[in-house]
Parts: sequence; C-alpha cells; structure tokens
Amino acid sequence: MSCILWKFSSNINTRSSSAVRNLIRHGHHLRGKPPGVARSLKQRLEEINYKNPSLHFRVDIGLPPPVVSRSTQLKERLSVVKQLRKNSELEKLARNKQLLINLEQANEEWLRTSGYYHIKKLSDHYGVYEHLFGDAYFLPVVPLCVNYTKADVKHPVYFGNLIKPSDAETKPEVHYESEKEALWSLILTNPDGHFTKQDQEYIHWFVGNIPGNKIDQGETIVEYLQPFPPKGTGYHRHIFILYKQEKRIDFSELKKSGPCLNLEDRTFSTLEFYRQRQEDLTPGGLAFFQSDWDSTLTEFYHNTLNMKEPVFEYDFPPPYIRPQEWFAKRRPFNLYLDKYRDPKQINKEFLMRKLKNVHPFKAPPPPLPYPNAVYFKDSVPQWLKLEKIKSRLKWGRINEIE
Amino acid sequence: MQYLRHCNKFTTRGVSTQVANADLNITDFVNRNPRNLERMRIGYKPDGYHVEKPGKCFWHKLNLSQSGRYVYATIEHFENGTVLQASTKEWALKKQLYKCIDSSAYYNLGRVLAERCLKSGLIEVYSNITPPKPDGKVAKFLEALQKGGVNLQEPPQFKPPRPWDQYRHEKPWEVTE
Repeated sequence: MSCILWKFSSNINTRSSSAVRNLIRHGHHLRGKPPGVARSLKQRLEEINYKNPSLHFRVDIGLPPPVVSRSTQLKERLSVVKQLRKNSELEKLARNKQLLINLEQANEEWLRTSGYYHIKKLSDHYGVYEHLFGDAYFLPVVPLCVNYTKADVKHPVYFGNLIKPSDAETKPEVHYESEKEALWSLILTNPDGHFTKQDQEYIHWFVGNIPGNKIDQGETIVEYLQPFPPKGTGYHRHIFILYKQEKRIDFSELKKSGPCLNLEDRTFSTLEFYRQRQEDLTPGGLAFFQSDWDSTLTEFYHNTLNMKEPVFEYDFPPPYIRPQEWFAKRRPFNLYLDKYRDPKQINKEFLMRKLKNVHPFKAPPPPLPYPNAVYFKDSVPQWLKLEKIKSRLKWGRINEIE
Repeated sequence: MQYLRHCNKFTTRGVSTQVANADLNITDFVNRNPRNLERMRIGYKPDGYHVEKPGKCFWHKLNLSQSGRYVYATIEHFENGTVLQASTKEWALKKQLYKCIDSSAYYNLGRVLAERCLKSGLIEVYSNITPPKPDGKVAKFLEALQKGGVNLQEPPQFKPPRPWDQYRHEKPWEVTE
C-alpha cells in the first residue's frame, strides 16, 4: 500500500498537497552532540569563568595567624577529650538529649582557632576584600568587638548583620586585645554609598595612632558620621578595619577638622590609603554590618547634611520584545501592536481617557461596587469590550497610570 | 553591577547653598554590595529544571552531612559555593560535647550554626532536608536552627511586572511594617 502511495506522490507536487505531506514523518532531530558527549552548562560556565592562576592570584597582606605546635595541641586536646569521656554527668546529659553547650565560650574558641578562615570566606562572599583591597586579602586574626548602644540596647557588629541607621547614630564602643605599646588605627568606610564616584568610598570614622586598645586616647582624624544609605538603594556594607602600625604615622594630610559634613571631603579609597602606607600598616581586624534606609534619615539629610533627600529606584532591564512581524498570525491585533508602540503614548491615551471624566472642582464619583455590570451601549466589537472590561477592573496597562 | 535610577521627586525646600552637599550632581547610583539584590529579593536566582532533584532554585542553601565521627553543616551559595560552615569537628564544639555524632551534637551544631547565620546576615536559607524521623537527630538540628532565628524558607525572586501584565504586585522594598 505504502509503495503505491509513494508512487502516487511522486507524480504530484508534494508542496501543494497537504494530504500527501501528512504522510511524511518529521522525526525527532537531535541538535548538537548527544547529552553524554556534549558539555553540560556547568562545564561551559566553568570554562567561560576560568581564570589563569598565574595571573589572577591574591596576596595576603595581613598579620600571620598564630603558630601553634600541632603535637602539643593534639596532646592537650586528647587529654581534654579523655576527661570528657570520663565525665558521667556530661554523658547523662548527652544521652538524655539535654546537653547544651555554652555558645559564648564556643564562639570565643572559634574566633581563636578556625574562625578567621571562616570569616575570610564570608567576607569574600560579601566582596569586602575585592572592593577595598583589590587583589589582596587578610585574615582577621585580631577579633574585633564593636558595639553600638542605643537606649541601653546593644547592637553588636559582626560580619554582615543588619543594623539600622537610627541605632548607629553615635560612635560605637570598640574593643580588641592588644599589647600596651602597640599602635593601631581604626577605619570605618562604606564602599557602596558614594553618590558620584562608583569606585570610591565614604569614610565614616578614622582614629589613628591608638595606643593599645584605648580608642579614646587615639588621634581622631575623621569624626564619626552615622550611616546614611539613601532610600531605594538597598543594603550598604559598613566595614571596620583595624590596622596594626609599625610606628607612629603622621595622618595630618587626611585630617578633617570639625564634624566634616561635606560629603566630598569624606571621599576615600582604602586601596590608595593602604598603598601609600603599606610599609607601616598591616590590617588585622575586621567587622562589618549592613544598613538600609529608615525613616529617621529624612531628617538627617535635611538638617545635618543640608541637602535634599535622594530617592532611588532599581532600574530593571526592559522586557525582551521580539522583532515585529509583517503578519502576526493567531495573535490579537490590539495587544500585539501595543507592544511595538511607544509606551508613553499608550499611557497618555489612558490618562486622557481618565481625565475626560474628571471634574476640576467636584469630588470624584465613588467607585462602582460592580464595575463590570455596566451595560455597553450600541454594538461594541469584542476586542474593544475586552479592553473596556480590563480598564474597569484595573487590569493590565491601565495600572501604569493609576 | 546594579544601577539604580534617580527619581528625585521632592518638592524644593530651603536648602542652604553654602554647603557643597546641596549641589552634588547625583544621577546614577551603583550599590556594589554583591548580596544587596538578593536581600532586596530582586537578585537573580537560578530556576533550575523543575523536575530535577535536588533543585537549584536558591540563593543560600543549607547542607548537612555526617561522616563516621563528625557532623558538618554548611551554607552554600549558588555561585560562591560554601560560604559559612560549622561542624562538630571544630575544637570549639568538640571541647564541650560528649560525642560528636549523637543527638545533642546535632542539636548544638544547629544552635551554633544559627548563631553564625544571624551574625553574618543570612537570615533566610533554603533547605530541602526532610528529617527521616520526626524526633530524630536531623529534626533536632533543624529545630535548633529555627529556634535560633533562621528561617528555613527563602522568599521567591521578585520579577518586575511587564506593561501588559494583569496585576502589579507589591514591591517588597516598599513594604514597611
């Protein structure tokens, strides 16, 4: 039978005869290499994002982590573990599922042992080193305790937690362990908030030549300024970095007198700062928090910074609209054509239609309880009916002007 | 890079012109914080393939694994890999535990990880761990995490409405309680 049909089809033009065309099987065609052979998306991305380690490497500029003899440490730890195993009370608690460890102690021990490796990883995740030091990094070997206090409530700074600007109005208490004769400097910068230069930072606080851990006795180079992330820009990182000084450094060229409310003067670049003084400075401590806009900032902008409050909105990429076709088959003509019109013009038409029924002096009529129950006068084509229904129900493009 | 459009629509106020802040020329603003968009819920989140298991639809994901002696819990980011970790292998935890894989080890690991998560600003973490027993070790671990303040669900990515969409959903960053 098929043989006969084949003969028959060869006599006529296959393009014109749909009956014959239906007999041709359009099988499944595999494009490209089969799945086992072709590279996966992950492999492709790895190839694209590959960075040559001989060119893209990072330099450790920080203080070295404390060196501990592995054998003595092991001995100590083994003896402790043995004692733990003999502790019958601990066993009882553990077996009854009631053992609760002391979180503070655990945290202290963590900061002393593996904590700085973990914090370094986390800071990389937050892009701290990349945006402050470029191709350099450091291990935060010196645990830095920063505490904001507002109305007797403490707001500690760790590594990325959220602190509202209203809680950080006054300068924080800073604590770290240090020898008496060592000199330190502490800097608080915001790499996300610069209004005009994208690769610069605002310096919020700078105390130099701190003897030991007495911040009050240090030399205040730049006075403390509270965080002021503008509305709509999201979360800004505010990074405390503690540098160890080799000797007393003269910071007079960076010194700002008074409260320094001129933002241009607070422009700062950690990379430049560090480059010029890298012989005498070594970063050792790190703490950072994130902060976003809150309602107290309006007053701060108006009264303290003496400027209009800037408000931003995220600029989403425009939706993809495929090139227009001559004959858009099986698509509603009005919806299709609207996609290729100027959106401002469409919005204007909606606005004009709305303003037609607005009286300048009278109050607007109350909204109808059942807007869709209004009768259509005369004969209205279906597409226009639908458009009207959509406008009544506030569906679709009418929302752009509402 | 995230560009934020300036839409300064404030009525003119009495601004003193002596301070240079008044004539700052602000046009585009770029927030360089790589975690900002994710926290604002508009960052890119991979969708993955819907029948794939485990899925890839997360910003941060909780992983839990156990070896012969220790338990390991990590927070994984879809691009950066492991970003936060805790395990009973760490001396800080091991020092205070009787055994490193029993129920109380799991529970305490959950407490420690929760504390670290809050300290690092990762409050919402995706988790596809289903505890095999309702009162077992894994359930204890998850319970400790949730008690510690970590939300084990991530909000969906906010996608901007296109002009022809039926509804305009509320923007997450405009919601203030």
